Amino acid sequence: MDLALQLLATGLVVGSLYALCAIGWGLIYGTTLHFHVAHGAVFALAAYYAYVGQKLLHLPLVAAVLLAIVGAAVSGLLIDLLLYQQLERRGAFRTSLFIASLGLLILLENVLAIVFTPDPMRMDIGALNTAVIIGPVFLTYLHILTVALAVGGYVALVLFLKRSRWGQAIRAVSSAPEMARTVGIDLNRVHLLTYAVGSALAAPAGILVAMDVGAEPFRGTRFVLLASVGVIMGGIGSIPGAMLGGIFLGLLENLGIWKLPSEWQAAISFGVFLVFIVLRPRGFFGRTIHSAEI
Amino acid sequence: MLKRFALLVSLFVLAITPAAAQQAPIKIGAILPLTGSGASYGVWMKGGTEMAAEEINAAGGIGGRKLEVVYEDHAADASKAVNAMRRLVEVEKIPFTLTSYSAPTLAIQPIGAQNKVVMMNGGGQSDNLANKDYLYNNIPVVSNEVGVLCDWLTKEKKFKAAVMIVANDEAGRNSAKSFRERFTAGGGKVLAEEQIALDGNDFRAQLAKLKAQGGDLLFISSYGRNVAIVADQARELGITIPMAATSWVQIPEVLKAKGAQGLLTTRLPFSPDSPFARKFKERYKTDAGFFAVQYYSGTRIFAAAAEAAMKKGGGKLDGEGVKNAIESIKAFDTISGKLVFQPNHAAVMDIEVGVLKDGKVEVEKIIKAGQ
Repeated sequence: MDLALQLLATGLVVGSLYALCAIGWGLIYGTTLHFHVAHGAVFALAAYYAYVGQKLLHLPLVAAVLLAIVGAAVSGLLIDLLLYQQLERRGAFRTSLFIASLGLLILLENVLAIVFTPDPMRMDIGALNTAVIIGPVFLTYLHILTVALAVGGYVALVLFLKRSRWGQAIRAVSSAPEMARTVGIDLNRVHLLTYAVGSALAAPAGILVAMDVGAEPFRGTRFVLLASVGVIMGGIGSIPGAMLGGIFLGLLENLGIWKLPSEWQAAISFGVFLVFIVLRPRGFFGRTIHSAEI
Repeated sequence: MLKRFALLVSLFVLAITPAAAQQAPIKIGAILPLTGSGASYGVWMKGGTEMAAEEINAAGGIGGRKLEVVYEDHAADASKAVNAMRRLVEVEKIPFTLTSYSAPTLAIQPIGAQNKVVMMNGGGQSDNLANKDYLYNNIPVVSNEVGVLCDWLTKEKKFKAAVMIVANDEAGRNSAKSFRERFTAGGGKVLAEEQIALDGNDFRAQLAKLKAQGGDLLFISSYGRNVAIVADQARELGITIPMAATSWVQIPEVLKAKGAQGLLTTRLPFSPDSPFARKFKERYKTDAGFFAVQYYSGTRIFAAAAEAAMKKGGGKLDGEGVKNAIESIKAFDTISGKLVFQPNHAAVMDIEVGVLKDGKVEVEKIIKAGQ
C-alpha cells in the first residue's frame, strides 16, 4: 500500500508537469487548430532561458524564472508571427503547418544541442530539493511546488479566459472563428495572444524539469506528445479536460507499473490512450473529434 | 639538355618518394563518449589519448612517423559508433582505433574484424567483449570485478538480500547477470530487479517499487551520470539501505553526489598522486581519473605494437601487423604496471574494494590480479 501511495504522489507530480504542457497546448490547438509540436521546443527554450538567467547572467532564481516565462511567451508569439501566419497567408494546409512545426521543433532542439551540448545543464535550487516526508510518501519541496504551480496556472488561465476581454476574445475565436471575425475580432492578433499565453504556460513545466534534473535539448518532444495525448483524452477545446488529461497520464504512467515491470511504462500510457479514443473519442469533456482535426 | 633535366627530376622524385611516404602521419581512431550521460569518461579518455600522442610525437613518433588521432563521439549510442567506425575505416583508412563502452564496441567489432582494423577497448566491460577477433581489452571484463565485489559483500559485509536497478543496455544487463550469479553463489538472494534507460533522468517510479521489496542492499548496475541521479533519488525516496556498484561510478558526478556517500564499490587501481595524474591536472585543469590512464596506456600499447610491426614488415604498417605484434608481445609495460593480455583478449588487474566517503573511496582491501 505504501508503494501505491508513493506512486500516486509521484504520478501526481509528473501529471502536473504534463497538465501544464497540456493546458497551454490545448489552448493553442483549440483556438488556432495548429498541431503545434514546436511547443516542445518552447518547453526546452524556457528551461535554457532560466538556466542562462541564473548561471550566465547571475540573476536570482525568481528573476531567472520570470525571464524564462516572458522569453517563452515571446518565443511562442514569434513562432506564430514569423512561421504559421506567413504560411497561412499563402494558403497552406493544416498538414503543411504541422510539417513546418515539426521541422522547427527539430531545428531548435538541434541548435540547443549544439550551443549547450546534449548534456543536462543543472541549476542551483538551494533547499528546494530537500526531501519532505508525508507518512509513507517521500517528495521534495520542488515536487510540491510543481503541483501548486499546475493548479495555479490552471486557475489563472480559467479566470483569464472567463473574466478578461482578451480572454473572451480567445474563447470567441475558439468556439466560432467566422462569427468572431464578423463581429470585428482580429483573428491574427487573437492567435498571437493565444500563442503568448499558451507558451507562457509551457515555461513553468520546462523550468521545473530543468530544476529537478537539468535542462536538456530533446526533453520537449516527449512532453508535447503527452500533452497532445492529454488534450485529446480530456476533450479538444476543453481546458479542464486538458488539465485532467495531463494529470491522468502522469498517474497512469506511475500507477501502471504498480504490478507490472517498469519497462511497460510507455506502453501502458499509449495503450490506454488508444483504447480510450476508440471507445470515447470525445474525451472526458470535449466535442467529438472529427477526422479533419487530427 | 631537356632530357637530362627530365632524368634529374625523375631521379629526384624517386629519391624523395619513400621519404615522403615515411613522413605521412599514422592516423588512428578514438571512438569515445564525448557527449551524453558519460561525457565525464570522455574528458579523461580523450585527455589520456592526447597526452600519450603528444609524448610519442615529441620523442620522434612511431618509426619516424607522427601519430595523429581522429576523435569520434558515440554518445553511448551503438549506431553512432558504427557510423564513426565506417568513416574511420573508409575515409581515414586507420589500422587501429581506441574504442569505449560495451554496446558501441560490440557494434563496431565486426567492421574492425572484416577490415582488419585492431580495436583497443579500455573502458567497456561486458563479458561479451572477450574472445573477439581484432578486439583487445586493456581492462578486465565485468564478471571479474563483480565477482570480487560479491565475495566482499556476502562474506565480509554479510549482505543477504539485494535489489537491483539495471541500465537497460549491454553493460548494465551484463553486470546485473554476473551480480545475480555471484551474489547467489555467495549465499545471498536477489529479490527484485528494475530496468532504467541510460539517458533517463527520473527513476523514482522504479526506485519506489524496489523500496517496497525491502532487502538489505541496492546494487546499481549502471554507469555515467545516471548513477548519481539514482543515488540521489533513492535517498530522496527514503531508501536507507546501503548501495553498491562497480568501478564505473568513479566519475566526479557520482563521487560528489550527496546520495552516493557510503556507497560500497570496487575500484581499479589509480593513484591521484602519480606524475601522470599531476601532469593531467596541470594540462586540463581537472582531476585525472582511472580512464585517463587507460586510454593513455591504450595509445602507448598501439605505439609499441606498431613499432614492432613496422620493423617486422619493412616499414609497412597495417592492422594485421599490429594484431600479430600484440599477440607476440602480449605483456606491455604501462604506467600502471605490467599489462598482460589473457588468451581471451582481456586484461586482468588488481581490484580494490572500499567505501565512498566525502567524495573519496576509502580502500579497505586490494585483491591481486587474477585471484
